[in-house]
Amino acid sequence: MLLERLGVFFDIIGKMIFDPVSLAILFGSVVLGILFGAMPGLTSTLGVALLTALTYSMDTATAMICLLAIYVGGTYGGSYASILINIPGTAAAAATAMDGYPLACKGEGGRAIGLTTTSSAIGTIISMLFVVSISPIISKFALEFTSFEFFLLAFFGILISGTLTSPDLVIKGWISGFLGLFLACVGRDQLQFYPRFTFGIPELDSGIEVVPVLIGAFGIPQIIGVLTNPTEMAKAQKLQRILPEIGTVVRNFPAIVRSALIGVGIGSVPGIGEDIAGWVSYGTAKNTSKHPETFGKGELQGVLASETANNACVGGAMIPLLNLGIPGSPPAAMLLGALMLHGVNPGPMITFEHPFFILEVAAILLLASIAMWIAGMILAKQVVKVLNIPTELFMPIIGVLCIIGSYSLGLNIFNLYLMLPVGIICLFLTNMGYPIAPLVIGVILGPMADESLRRALMVSQGSFMPVFHRPVSLILFIIIVWTICSQFAWYKNIVASLKQRILLLLK
Amino acid sequence: MMKTEDLRKADFFSGSAITLLGLLISGGALQMPMKDSWGGVQNVWYVSPAIFPLFVGTILTLLGLFLVRISIKNVGKEGIKSTLEYLFGKSFILYAFSETTIRFYAILFNLLLFVFVMVPRIDFFPASIMFLLVLFLMFYYSDHSHLISIFKKLAWFSLLLFIVIVNRWDSFLEPIIPYAKDWMVIGFILFLIFHSAKSINNDTDKKRRFRICLIIGITAPFVIGIIFKYFLLVPMPFEGLVVSLLDSIWYAEIWSS
Repeated sequence: MLLERLGVFFDIIGKMIFDPVSLAILFGSVVLGILFGAMPGLTSTLGVALLTALTYSMDTATAMICLLAIYVGGTYGGSYASILINIPGTAAAAATAMDGYPLACKGEGGRAIGLTTTSSAIGTIISMLFVVSISPIISKFALEFTSFEFFLLAFFGILISGTLTSPDLVIKGWISGFLGLFLACVGRDQLQFYPRFTFGIPELDSGIEVVPVLIGAFGIPQIIGVLTNPTEMAKAQKLQRILPEIGTVVRNFPAIVRSALIGVGIGSVPGIGEDIAGWVSYGTAKNTSKHPETFGKGELQGVLASETANNACVGGAMIPLLNLGIPGSPPAAMLLGALMLHGVNPGPMITFEHPFFILEVAAILLLASIAMWIAGMILAKQVVKVLNIPTELFMPIIGVLCIIGSYSLGLNIFNLYLMLPVGIICLFLTNMGYPIAPLVIGVILGPMADESLRRALMVSQGSFMPVFHRPVSLILFIIIVWTICSQFAWYKNIVASLKQRILLLLK
Repeated sequence: MMKTEDLRKADFFSGSAITLLGLLISGGALQMPMKDSWGGVQNVWYVSPAIFPLFVGTILTLLGLFLVRISIKNVGKEGIKSTLEYLFGKSFILYAFSETTIRFYAILFNLLLFVFVMVPRIDFFPASIMFLLVLFLMFYYSDHSHLISIFKKLAWFSLLLFIVIVNRWDSFLEPIIPYAKDWMVIGFILFLIFHSAKSINNDTDKKRRFRICLIIGITAPFVIGIIFKYFLLVPMPFEGLVVSLLDSIWYAEIWSS
């Protein structure tokens, strides 16, 4: 069985390597991703969103090469702006700027980029290994899930995403998630075809299209935000030698592996993006370092930690996406939308419906990481030039792409009428400290949550008791209750007093 | 994002809006069949289409109320009162006409005009050239007075376009001037170009910026449009003058022979 899977895996890789078109698409998408990531204001999520429109007419395999390659390239590309101009190209690379820029100021920008390229590639490869090895286990486990588990899982995804991505109060993250769930309610319900919140508009009968909403939610606030408050770009630091010293990579290998594991772990939590993986990994590297005082002053380990983790997050995000149909990060949410457009419904049944799909994804991740390393080494000095392109010039073009891209998915003008208001609402929400990722996760998981809740109640004849009888749903229920309670002051007080009592008892 | 103190003040209003939305969702859900029959099927409460929206609406109401409570607890009634005074006072008017806010209006106006008026009615190519040129000339020049001047002209032109569309004058003009609306937009693009060229006044930096705006503003829509229309075979939202011209070139007999 294992040998057969390995055989299929290498067969897929061989086919891709020896197909010049696939190879060209892979390299082209990786380079495009790097450019997207490198330009401050553009994110890998937006890159995946725009490419979804362009890959709509392609076959699923080719579309996946494009989308995964731009995701990998975009996540890595953010490090250029972080290291060279101290402005993170993407939120994922925010932690990289802490030590990347001081390194560039010391004249070690090239060295930092060379090492981040290598560690990003290693991070992606390690996460790919997890996709291949863990997916069959999770998939098999998820087959035992009933509607109650799926409802609780969707609910947990929204809650945890809201809890961890909120830049302000946690409650705002939850509100954002529930707003997404409300958007998912619009249209005819899936069980009885009753029109909900359609206001007599026939275009709303089929519900809100996910991809235009995602393009609006991620694209429009970015365009308006960047043009309204333009940031004065610093002059990019010069690059010297980019090829990394093998000795440094080998010396830091344990730290790279630890960061990759953090990235995979955080990526596999629903809705948590690469930015959090980068910060957590950076924090861990600092806390475990013998010289934490050097962090923030140009410490190579800090750069390696954040860049390895954010790229490892890509594979991590694929695990819940492919096996449970729950996106692990905002770009993964976009990927889910793209997969649905191509008729692939991720979830426990994926191994039966598309037996080699997960292996295909793993193979693309592996090749994309290699392509990213090669492109990073060869094109680094050229990519730096895009940092000189004024945002006032490329943001309006992104606007046109968002608009034509949203329209082209379904050739529906109504998608545009939906995309722009959603984008404007998301802009206001962002300004008021509401995170957008939970909203997007809510829109995606809403139909699953709704259908699962009603199916579960149908089976149990309206009883909620099965939640307490089934171990997985009970565990999920406890985690949900704990996630909610842990945000309140009274819970923190109880925990603190309990700790004190235990300490007193021990004394 | 705003400062923490401002956020807490804003939370009162956003929390109230969320509570109201939650109540509206719950109210809407209560209108849905709970135990009545729908489509010949007798409902039971737990299969009703109202269950999930009711759940979402109730939680949103609670979360909204909770946010309002946090806000009041943090800034007190005085804080809310001072925010209301600010909103109805002179300082808000000053903010509403500040440079950053005008930049915001300019982008928003152009986006709304492009999506709701231009894309469904004007050929994609002139519509997007106009959209891009307006934004480039507004923002790439880094000159606020130039931005305001372009914004005013855009507002006047959109008013004219609006009048033409509402009164259906284009259908009267169509037999005399085919693609009348497209020609109007092309006319405005030319006007913008001449107006901006005139305002350069031998300033070499402005000259360079103007040249870049012009080159990218015209080539980008053609690159994007041609990829979508002829390579991805996506029909444009509205096909007019330029698309018919490009069609006649793309599908010309010369190529097939």
